[in-house]
Amino acid sequence: MVEQYPILIVAIPLIGSVFCPLIGRWKKTFCYYWTVLLLSASVAGSIHTLFQVIAGGTVYYHLGGWPPPVGIEYVVDHLNAMMVTLVSVVSLIVAIYSRPSVEKELPDRIIYFYTLFILQVTGYLGIVMTGDLFNLYVFLEIASLAGYALIAVGEDGAPLATFRYIIMGTIGGSFYLLGVGYIYITTGSLNMADVRELLPQLYESRVILTAVAFLTAGLAVKMALFPVHVWLPDAYTKAPSVTSALIAPLMTKISLYLLIRILFDVFQHRLYMEMLPISSIMVWAGVIAIVAGAVMALAQTDFKRMLCYIVVAEVGYIVGGLGLANETALKGAILHILNDAVMTLGLFTVAGIVAYKMGRHDLSDFKDMFKKMPITMSTFVVGALSIIGVPPTCGFFSKWYLVHGAIIAEHWTFLAALLLSSLVSVILFFRVIEIGYGFASSHAKHAHEGDAMTGIDEAPAEMLIPAIAVAVAILLIGLYNQTILSKVIEFGVPRL
Amino acid sequence: MKTLSIITGIIAGAALIYGTLDMPKWANPNSPASTHVSPYYLRHSVEDTSTPNVVTSVLADYRGYDTLGETTVVFTAGMACILLLRKRGRG
Amino acid sequence: MFEFICDHYNYWAYIGLMMIGFYAMMTKRNLMKKVIGMNVFQSAILFFYISMAAKDGATVPILEHAHNGHGYLPIDIMQYVNPLPHVLMLTAIVVMVATLGLALAIIILIYRRYNTLEEDDIIMQLRRG
Repeated sequence: MVEQYPILIVAIPLIGSVFCPLIGRWKKTFCYYWTVLLLSASVAGSIHTLFQVIAGGTVYYHLGGWPPPVGIEYVVDHLNAMMVTLVSVVSLIVAIYSRPSVEKELPDRIIYFYTLFILQVTGYLGIVMTGDLFNLYVFLEIASLAGYALIAVGEDGAPLATFRYIIMGTIGGSFYLLGVGYIYITTGSLNMADVRELLPQLYESRVILTAVAFLTAGLAVKMALFPVHVWLPDAYTKAPSVTSALIAPLMTKISLYLLIRILFDVFQHRLYMEMLPISSIMVWAGVIAIVAGAVMALAQTDFKRMLCYIVVAEVGYIVGGLGLANETALKGAILHILNDAVMTLGLFTVAGIVAYKMGRHDLSDFKDMFKKMPITMSTFVVGALSIIGVPPTCGFFSKWYLVHGAIIAEHWTFLAALLLSSLVSVILFFRVIEIGYGFASSHAKHAHEGDAMTGIDEAPAEMLIPAIAVAVAILLIGLYNQTILSKVIEFGVPRL
Repeated sequence: MKTLSIITGIIAGAALIYGTLDMPKWANPNSPASTHVSPYYLRHSVEDTSTPNVVTSVLADYRGYDTLGETTVVFTAGMACILLLRKRGRG
Repeated sequence: MFEFICDHYNYWAYIGLMMIGFYAMMTKRNLMKKVIGMNVFQSAILFFYISMAAKDGATVPILEHAHNGHGYLPIDIMQYVNPLPHVLMLTAIVVMVATLGLALAIIILIYRRYNTLEEDDIIMQLRRG
């Protein structure tokens, strides 16, 4: 049983999702418990696999017993194990957090919402575990389809935002499929390790260069790299709170993980040190994304929309770090994938709690928030400090590695962009904290209102405990970052 | 917007056509795609899976997991349509 | 030169079809036409994969029974078409149809809300509040 864990991590939610509508017919509230049960099983499996990989090296699982390249293979190395643990733990936290929010925003669609929730997590887990290029496309489409549906049941204007997301997401997936086709026609294999061995003698071929270009373009659409990020703000803002809390931390980071896998593991780095200037293009794309995301976030009055532009900027950090292509920058980029998922989760859970209490997620809703919901705002402050990059939160350490990598590569523009975005984040979040403390209102009005709002109207425990857990995780990951780096990420950094 | 899209389309098309210049000839029986993994499927399909239809044996046996994923895609689309389109209750 | 065109014109045809679909997705202002363009785009990728499976003078990849009813004729791989791209495209067709179904469901939702499918009219309705 133990050696079947790699497949059980994906198979248990997949088969469990089929039973979710049946359980929901029996009793609606049981869907929530069923979801939490399935995702806990995945978390247990993924933590076990993580320890197995740390102790013994890469884990291989051949589906159906067929050896690769004849059959499909699951390969779990250090980078994979970190990603699969991240995805399953984040999904479990959002699942536990979800009940009050779903019951308020979507009271008559609970059963099918949770079914699609489980299916989307299945898609994510399948993407990060697999070692086969076409299998990845199938699970990418499962995750995308479930995502489209989960976003479309949001507020007014959500279907139109989803339609734009469908058009752009399909272009991304199809470009990926086209790139895989170009690889297949010259190598004849779909297995990542096999392609890695067959490619070096084909580097002169124009087909391979086109394949790299289209794979990167397809993944760039999926990860919302500026300028093809236009689907992201509308889609994530208008989605229900639980959906944004699930998709926003994970989808872009998984696409970044795929970019690392394909550019560094399947196509070795030698390809674009010598043949194409992909490295410098990636760093410049990162710089532009950081600056554009930061500037556009400043202009927003809606809290969730502001967070979406911050997500765009964070993608820029990681892409720039990958482009710098020295070991420190790669370590920083991979650590930043982990950190950014947790930070974004923290901020979006706070946005969900605000939406639950107020019905909207505008910046003005934060007025006097510190009096009414002190614990929630404390978790918000932890998340904000992490995005700004203040020790000992985790955001500081990954930014430190990225800055160090930029200095080693002597890329001063990227360094300037990193520092500029930290400054802009300070402005953004202190604006929110100012509104939350009520500094903006005049003193006279403050004295009158002070009597009326003495009650603490905190969020329900089911939403509050996950938010606190995420804030604690941000601090713990920051304090233990050296352990994470030395045990997991050191070995996960692709060989250059 | 229209000219931008046309230019993007032409650039993408040109890049793809540039990629096809080194591709194997159409219907070449010695292309890498036809000589790397596929001979294994053709030769061993009967002894491994007792099926003379090689497409079936690859779809259901060698790459059966992809078929499971495809079934899940159909299930996801069905659930999504129920979630989106069902008329809400009467009260 | 003419040889070269004869050997590669199929790829160019599929790329042309792909770009027609891409153009429709990007520039048309009616949502239904965008969905049709998406379908054309994905179908062109299907054709591309299938064309790489072809072999000169080969037949479908179903192994022939020997004449006496027992066993099979000796397998000559040059005689059968490459089965793997066909299998991959069976899965891709299903994915394409599922995406199409979901896109049409979203279009129904949009129509119920805005009563039109022209993107310009919808944006005008959004602007008017």
